Amino acid sequence: MIRVENLTHVYNKGLAYETKAVDDVSFTVEDGAFIGIIGHTGSGKSTLIQHLNGILKPDSGKIFVDDIEITNKKTKMAEIRKKVGLVFQYPEYQLFEETVYKDIAFGPKNLGLSDDEVDFRVKEAMALVNISFDEFAERSPFELSGGQKRRVAIAGVIAMKPAVLILDEPSAGLDPKAHTDILNMISMIRKQTGNTIILVSHNMGDIAQLSDLVFVMDHGKLASAGPPSEVFADTAFLQGIGLGLPPATEMAHYLAARGCAADNIILTRDELVDFLAETFGSGGEAK
Amino acid sequence: MEIEKKNDNSIINIRDLVFEYTREEDDGVVCAVDHVSIEVPRGSFTSIIGRNGSGKSTLAKNVNALLLPSGGSIIVDGYDTADESVLWEVRRRVGMVFQNPDNQLVSAVVEDDVAFGPENLGIPPDEIRTRIKDALNAVDMYEHRKMAPHLLSGGQKQRVAIAGVIAMRPAIIIFDEPTAMLDPQGRGEVMNILEKLHADGITVVLITHFMEETIGSDRIIIMDRGEIALDGTPREVFENTAEIEALGLRLPFAVEIAARLRARGVFVPQGLLSMRELADDLVARKEGAR
Repeated sequence: MIRVENLTHVYNKGLAYETKAVDDVSFTVEDGAFIGIIGHTGSGKSTLIQHLNGILKPDSGKIFVDDIEITNKKTKMAEIRKKVGLVFQYPEYQLFEETVYKDIAFGPKNLGLSDDEVDFRVKEAMALVNISFDEFAERSPFELSGGQKRRVAIAGVIAMKPAVLILDEPSAGLDPKAHTDILNMISMIRKQTGNTIILVSHNMGDIAQLSDLVFVMDHGKLASAGPPSEVFADTAFLQGIGLGLPPATEMAHYLAARGCAADNIILTRDELVDFLAETFGSGGEAK
Repeated sequence: MEIEKKNDNSIINIRDLVFEYTREEDDGVVCAVDHVSIEVPRGSFTSIIGRNGSGKSTLAKNVNALLLPSGGSIIVDGYDTADESVLWEVRRRVGMVFQNPDNQLVSAVVEDDVAFGPENLGIPPDEIRTRIKDALNAVDMYEHRKMAPHLLSGGQKQRVAIAGVIAMRPAIIIFDEPTAMLDPQGRGEVMNILEKLHADGITVVLITHFMEETIGSDRIIIMDRGEIALDGTPREVFENTAEIEALGLRLPFAVEIAARLRARGVFVPQGLLSMRELADDLVARKEGAR
């Protein structure tokens, strides 16, 4: 379980541009939950998640992951890294080794694990990100496509076997096929590891489809939190802070204004197609 | 040399373009653009889509002579990009906006950044001041002219980068995934500017992975493995739903929903590209059937 208590982080303290990037944020996340975090650029999403694996230290407040207080200065970074893995935006820029194998093995080796254990973890991580061991282990990561590079970088984090996996915009800049591959990969990792997953994304459709709970950040505050069906029902609030709706929800809203309202909120493309087929399927057909 | 009759309406004329490069690892030759011919009419809005590595960006970089053809030719407003003596004539006509605004801003103050290009063209200071004002007004950033770029949002930074290009007064602007790193609000801002520039008569070429952004263009070219896979108006191109998906691309939202409804036996006509068009059609059809 993750427990965040009154977390505050101030950038440029004492300067004219002093900003509270994270402002008194508190929440808990149950084991195995899938959390989606949304908010426009500068709302504090990235600053918040960088606290969860100890890269940033708060100005005030505490974070507990299971029984470890990761905001305590005495807690070793290696302990935190074993608990929480963070995949940055554009993680492929951090690949550096000669081979895919060495790149993924780098973290586990630094944990002081045996060669056998490292080998096992590299194979397991590559299977989870759907990169063939036989084909790619000895290749240079720099020869791979953008989507493949990114999956190798994610494998490097997974090989640390964190209980919590945080992904910051994991599909940004990828083409549509690579985007879908990454989403499928995240679902598979969740299914096979039971990890708690925290996904930061601007893609409301992805967030609505995958998340158990959605956290909305605005001006450093946790402005709203709840299941997608609640968070995305408050259209006026989301638009007020510069966020949109999942496209399926938006279309359902538009239809409701034209007199064709659905009984329940529509979040995904599947739900929308079902609703449209029922509503327009028979009566709407051309003669 | 035989001189072809010049089509006055075309501002970019790509003829049988080939672009090859040598792969570093094994010295193998890669053909990134494979015998591509495109004529771009003056003042038009063309979208280019395709998977990563399909040759879109390489094609674009050939148009303003950042890269030179291995075979074939590109004529920009009458100037051959391969002719070094007219390089600046080509560059003055073709502005480029890239994905990452942080890599395109060079100065500590917004207006200095916009001045950078015109200064390098040797334009007199009075004229430069006019151009800065016009360019920043065009992207709605004039009131931020004294700001430091790093304090702006991603969308604002990208608008400043676009102002820097506008200040060069190019006839053509190529946008290479200009919204890839922006949030939805920033994407909306940049797309509004792009549409405004097109309305003002600038020839716009947009490279993007967001299908919704291409709906308003005059023409869509889909690239695959260095070749043109599909080429036509948005309505024509998006009728090829199966082929587009086979190319590893996604359909615009409304087109995908319409295709799935058809598969469920619901009659939906072709050519409905936006969510509103689709919704309006479904509602009208239902009301008409009553």
